[in-house]
Order: sequence, then C-alpha cells, then structure tokens
Amino acid sequence: MSKRTDRKRWLSILGILLGFALIAAACGSDDDGDDEVVAEEEAPAEEEAPAEEEAPAEEEAPAEEEAPAEEEAPAEEEAPPEEETAGDNEVRLGIMAECEGAFGGFHEDITAGAVLGMINGAGATSNSTTTALDGFSGASVAGTPINLVGIGCGDDTPDRAIQEIRTLVEQDGANVIIGPLSGDEGIAIANYAKDHPEVTFLDGSSGAQDTTLSVQAPNYFRWHADGAQWNAGIGDILHNTAGWDTAAVIADDYGFGWTSAAGFTAEFCAVGGDVVQQVFPPLGTTDYSSFVAQLPNPDEVDGYFWVIGGTGTNASLEAFLNAKGDLTGDQHAGNLFFSPALAAALGTDIAGAYVGGFANLPGDISTPEIDAYLASADAAWETLAGGLSGNEPAEPSLAAGFGFMYAYYSASAAFTEALAAVDGDLSDNHAALRAEMSTMTWEGPFGDISLDENRQAIADTSVQQLVLDENEEVISKTVVIVPAVDQTFGGTFSEETDPPERDNVSCEERDLPWVGNAIPVVDGVPQN
Amino acid sequence: MTGRPSTGTMVISAVVALLVLLPAFGSDFFIDFVMTRTMMLGLAASTIVFLSAYGGMVSLAQWLIFGVSGFMIGNAVAEAGHGLKLGWNPWVAVIFALGIATAVAFVLGALSARTIGIYYLMLTLTYAVIGFLFFGQVTTFSGFGGVTGLDPPGFFLDHPKRLYYAGVVLSVIAYVTFRAVARTSFGIALQGIRDDPVRMSSLGFNVPMHRMLAFTLAGFVAAIAGVLNVWWNGQIDPTSISIGPTLDLLIIAVIGGIAHLEGAWLGAFVFVAANNYLRDLPLVDNIGITEARFNTVIGALVLLIMVLSPDGLMGIIEKVRAAGRRVLGGPTGPTTAAPEPRLRRTSS
Repeated sequence: MSKRTDRKRWLSILGILLGFALIAAACGSDDDGDDEVVAEEEAPAEEEAPAEEEAPAEEEAPAEEEAPAEEEAPAEEEAPPEEETAGDNEVRLGIMAECEGAFGGFHEDITAGAVLGMINGAGATSNSTTTALDGFSGASVAGTPINLVGIGCGDDTPDRAIQEIRTLVEQDGANVIIGPLSGDEGIAIANYAKDHPEVTFLDGSSGAQDTTLSVQAPNYFRWHADGAQWNAGIGDILHNTAGWDTAAVIADDYGFGWTSAAGFTAEFCAVGGDVVQQVFPPLGTTDYSSFVAQLPNPDEVDGYFWVIGGTGTNASLEAFLNAKGDLTGDQHAGNLFFSPALAAALGTDIAGAYVGGFANLPGDISTPEIDAYLASADAAWETLAGGLSGNEPAEPSLAAGFGFMYAYYSASAAFTEALAAVDGDLSDNHAALRAEMSTMTWEGPFGDISLDENRQAIADTSVQQLVLDENEEVISKTVVIVPAVDQTFGGTFSEETDPPERDNVSCEERDLPWVGNAIPVVDGVPQN
Repeated sequence: MTGRPSTGTMVISAVVALLVLLPAFGSDFFIDFVMTRTMMLGLAASTIVFLSAYGGMVSLAQWLIFGVSGFMIGNAVAEAGHGLKLGWNPWVAVIFALGIATAVAFVLGALSARTIGIYYLMLTLTYAVIGFLFFGQVTTFSGFGGVTGLDPPGFFLDHPKRLYYAGVVLSVIAYVTFRAVARTSFGIALQGIRDDPVRMSSLGFNVPMHRMLAFTLAGFVAAIAGVLNVWWNGQIDPTSISIGPTLDLLIIAVIGGIAHLEGAWLGAFVFVAANNYLRDLPLVDNIGITEARFNTVIGALVLLIMVLSPDGLMGIIEKVRAAGRRVLGGPTGPTTAAPEPRLRRTSS
C-alpha cells in the first residue's frame, strides 16, 4: 500500500515539475521556433521521467509508454523556418584551418593567407609579428567591420571538418567562412553550406571536384582551381614532350587524390597515352611498401605519376626507392606535391621531373604584382613558421609564394574586393555580395580568376619542371602556363558524370581546349 | 522497506527533467551541438558499459556497429556522390540500417562469444579495424571520401531540437531497457556468466549464447545511436569509425565509469564539453592547450580520473555521497538506499 502511495506522490511531484517545465519552455525562449519545438516535445518528456522512477521497481511498462510518446511528436506541425539574418551589419569571419593530420604542417600558412587578405584588402593589422594564429584587428570594408570569431582546427577528415565548422557557425556566430584546406573536407562543408544559406563560404584550398561541380551550394565560392584543373597541361607534355605512352598512377585515396589523378588521366589519355595501373593508398599512410609493390616495374611502364600529398609524399617515394630503384626525373612526375624540397631527402636524380600546377605560379616567374604580394606578406609579419620551412620561423614570403597560403589569400582578397564593390552590403543573406562575386574577375597577383556558374574558379595554371641550377641544387622552373582552365575539362566532366573516384575516369582520346594552346615560359617569361 | 525512490533514482529523474527543460534556457549551439552529441555518444557508450558491467565483455566493436548503421543509412538515402545511392525513403533506410547493423552485431557476437578478457578486447578491436578498412577500400559502399550530403527525415530536417529530444528519449529508453534486462532471468544469468562463466556453464547455461545475445542487443542500441549520428552530422566516412573514435568511445565509458550505466552519458558530456569549450577558456592557449592538443588534454583527464577513481566520475560521485553521509551522520539503513542491484562487478 505505502509503496504505491509513495510512488504516486513522487509521480505527482515530477508531473508538477514538468508542468513548470512546460511553462518555462513556453515563456523562456525568445526564439519562436524553439518555443514550438519545446512545447511539442513536452509530451514525451512527461512520459520519460516516470519511466526513470519506476525502473527500480522492475516494471517494463514505462518503457512501453515511451513509444506512443515518440509517435505523438511527428504528428505535430512543422516549426517556423529559422531566423533571418537580414540585419547583419558586420562580417564575423571564421577561418577553417588545419592543425592536425597529413596537412597539419600548413596550419600557419593557410591562416596567414586568410589574414593577409584582410590586411591587404580591409586595412587590418596582424595581432602578432611572428604568427597569423593570433588573428588580426581593425579590419573594415566600406564601413562594415570584419571581426575574426574563430580559427577551426581540421585534420583532413570530413567528420572533424563538420564539427569544427559547426562550432564556428553555430557557436561563434560566423557568417563568413574561409576554408577548408583538404578535398573531402570541402565536399562535406559544401553540403553543410546548403543547409546554412545565411553563411557565405569561401573555399580555402580544397581541390575535390565534387565540391562545386556536384554539390553546387549557392553560397559556396571557390576562388581557386580544383585538383584536376591544376594538372591541366601535364598529360600533354608527358606524352608529347617526355615521350610517355604508358603511365602508372599512385594517388591518395580520397576526394582530392581522385580529382587530381582524374585530371592527369583525362588529359594523358586525351592526347593518346594509356594509364596501365592505378594504386590508391589511404591518405596519411606511413608505410607505402605494399602499395609501391603493386606498381609495375620501371621496365614495364614509361613513367609514374605521383599524387601523394602531405606527410606521405616523402614516405611513398622512399618506399619506391627501396623497392624499385632510382627515382629519375625522366620516369617520374607528380602533381603539386612534387616539390624541389624532395631532392633534399631523395637526391638530385629527380631533376627533370614535370610537376602539375597549384594555386600559385612557381618562383621563377616574377611580375610587379607578384613582388608586391610577397612584399606585403613580409611587411605583415617578421617571420612565419610555415610548412615549407618545416614549421621553423622563416620569411613570410616563402609561405606566401606557395599555393596553400595563396589559395586562402585568394578567397580572402576576392571577398574583400567584392564587399567593397557592394559598399559593404550584407543584407538579404549577402545577396549583393554573392552576386558580385559570381560575376567579377579578381585580378590576383598570379593571374586573373573568375567564377563559373557553379561558383568554381576558371584560372590559369602551370606546368613546372624540377631542374638543377648552377649550384647543382634542384629548383622549380615553369614550362608552360595553361590559360583559363575550366572545371569541366572541355566537357570531360559535368554534373551528370560521377565524381572522380578510383576507376571511373575512362581512358580515351578526346579534344581538350588548351592542348596546343599552352603558353611556353622561357626563363620565367611567358612567351605570349 | 517503503518503496520510496532512492536518492540515485531521484537524481536521475531530476537530470532527465533538466534535459527536457534545457532547450528553454540553453543556447542553440549548446543544445544542437553539445547536448545532442552527448546524447548520441552516451547512447553508444552505454552499450560498452552494458556489455562490460553485466556481461564482463569490454567491446571495442560498438563504434563499428554504430558506423555500419550510419553507412547503411548513407547508402540507402543518398542519391548522388559515393556509395550505392539507392535514394530510399529515410524511414525505410532506418529499418534497413538497423537490420543490417544488428545482423552484423549478431555475427560478430557469435564469432567472439567464446573469448574472454584481453582476447575479447583484441578481437573486437580487430573488428573495428576491419570495418574501417572495409568501408575505406570498398568503394561500392563508401571509399575514404565517405557518403556525404545526407539529410534526416523531414520531421528532423531544420529542427535540430527534435533530434536532441529524440536523443533524450532514446537514451532514456535504452537506460531503462538495459536496467530492465539486467533483472530478467537472462540478465541475471548474464551477470552470473560475468562473474564465473565456468560455474554457469557447468550449471547448464549456454554461455556463448548469452554473450552473443547481449552483444546483439548492445549492437542494436549502438546502431540506433549511429542513425542519430548520421542524421545529425549529415555525412559519414571511414575515418568516422577509425581507431581514434573507437578508442574515444571507450574513453567516454571510462571517464563516466565503466561499471555505471549513467556514467556513459556523464562521460560523453565531459568529453564533448572538453572538446568544445576547453579552447575558449582564458589563458589555456598561453600554456599550449589549443584544440590541437585535445587528445593530450583528454588523455591527462582520463589519467587523473583513473588515479582518483578507477570507477570513473560516477565512482567519484558515489565517494562524495558516502563521505557526505558520514559527515552528516545521516541514516545508512535501507530507508535511504533502496536495494538496487549495483552494476559494478561483484566478487562471488
């Protein structure tokens, strides 16, 4: 008897408590949408607590009560749409950087790129003379202040990227995002962007094709080429100049690796070459020996095309050295990760190798605009501990001259230019700003960039070659500039084609618009 | 015995009431991100606790089941991108995902039912690694890029608080169910198997069968958490179920107290809150603690908790309660502490 009475009393107390909860929920929030949702969900709540109460009494009935409670909720009507952000009168900038993972070494570089854009385009000053991670202050365009609300910490995985971007947008209140760095992160964030029309996303340096060609988020802008575009021109040169008829490809097994390999394969095959083998190690692999073993031997193929980035570049090439012999420049080529720095670990035999382009142009090309851009980086900081200097303090222009920092800079600088053009207008979910970015041409130091209908950059790219200088050191030299490369590769890729994956880029001859039209570069001077 | 609820039950009821009220005064981010994630991770971690506390099986495969469920949702509902792209109705996808994930749990549970202790741990770790590599390498289902752009069913779309409440409701159901199961003859036999499998076997109990069924039940609950996760996150990729997150789930269970079912949610809250708010504490970045050092911090936290209380935060809470009772000189008889069966392992 008393057991039942006591339980009733406790249930009554809990019921009263939850009654207050209902009132509090209805009155406590200033968000209409929230009010309704809370009210809707109150029913299950009332059922839950008794379930807790009765658990010790060895009864399963409360658990059963949950079911109707849960079913009740779906019957409720939809809550109102989320709040409008028409009243934005400041830019709350979030930078989606990369502090861990295979590209964690470029955390400083990419943050510096975004910050430098604010310094050059919005009158900001860096908060530190030795690191960009302390952010900037005093940024404003046409009277619209730009405040840095956070720097996200990615690790090249989409899962982490989503969590970081949610923190920047939903906790820190960012309404403009610059980033991310890496391919799969970009795809995930572009999908996230679709659900957050109030935020403008400016891709950092992520190069997967799907990010813009497939996802097509209307508020996602990419002011740099994708991984395939960056490889424009190199297939033609390897087949027609280096004489490769067959090639083996080894590429990171993720969005950017697939896209970059797809660009090489599409062009190499388009001009008559044949890709005989493709191997895809997971990103961040440390022991590449089993993957290298799957490659054909040097006497079975004309050359190897490497698309291994971040911490894997050296490790994979060393595995090749150990398993298959010398890394010679005439039989090896790679995408943007094939840098002169490789020679320090792998020897100078690599000289002669052709390398695909990146967001920047190689250091042998010098123009007043490039010089001014590099000088602005040196003026902004005394030193930066970027990826190219092994995260040791070095001249900021070293990092600024490399594609990671420049790609973030492009996004940041193009954004400030567009914001100035619309007189700082952020109304109506940044409508004027977005329209301006969709139609403008940003005259960047490494070439003009405009956006296509998917808000993807149409940009010049380059093919470089590793060569020996007079001191017998390996340096990078520009061979050709390929003007105005578009994402579709002359119709090879479209939103109807499956996004690049391991095997879905067919090897067939076709016409590409730039084959035969690349601009040769002699001693750093384009011959146009 | 009066039947009056114990202090613990009252506290749990109050916590549930608080969780229900939370959206009225918590920020959107706190609810939609921190607490929803807490509910999902807690739900998944509770399956580790259930298996460990009642069955003596410390499983590292729970995150895999969680992931299998997520990947199946992704393959079933996605219409573009990677994977099967079946484009099914999301609710049909839920049934499909729960069915597949539970079947996987059943098979894995059967395979590991005859192992115990460290061997069980290693075997389930192997499952986790195989699962990660499977979804990474088999591009038919995912590939390393994962399955992205996944929307939850319309009921949850653009209504993150509904997802939070779903997490709360499902957590309560799981909690109650696990406690109820422990009191069934199956649960009592399972606890007997936990304490002395040889004796239980000689008494005629089918030890592997009990272990397998417990693993399957835990797998089903982990699969539910996996469904919530993919609705919440909008995508899933193999690194979501790699060795790091797999160990994170065990860490969550350990932080909360691996012998306490409630500890799963407490551990999840501490884990998620540390991940999100540590970086915002003033001065911490001056001593090198940034988001990039999260693993170091959480490792130190686990170490600290293990030193202070091998029974996790719930163990600390119980110690404090006991100390308080001693200091206050309150009654210690059955009127204040209902004879709830404890989850912690007993020596028999």
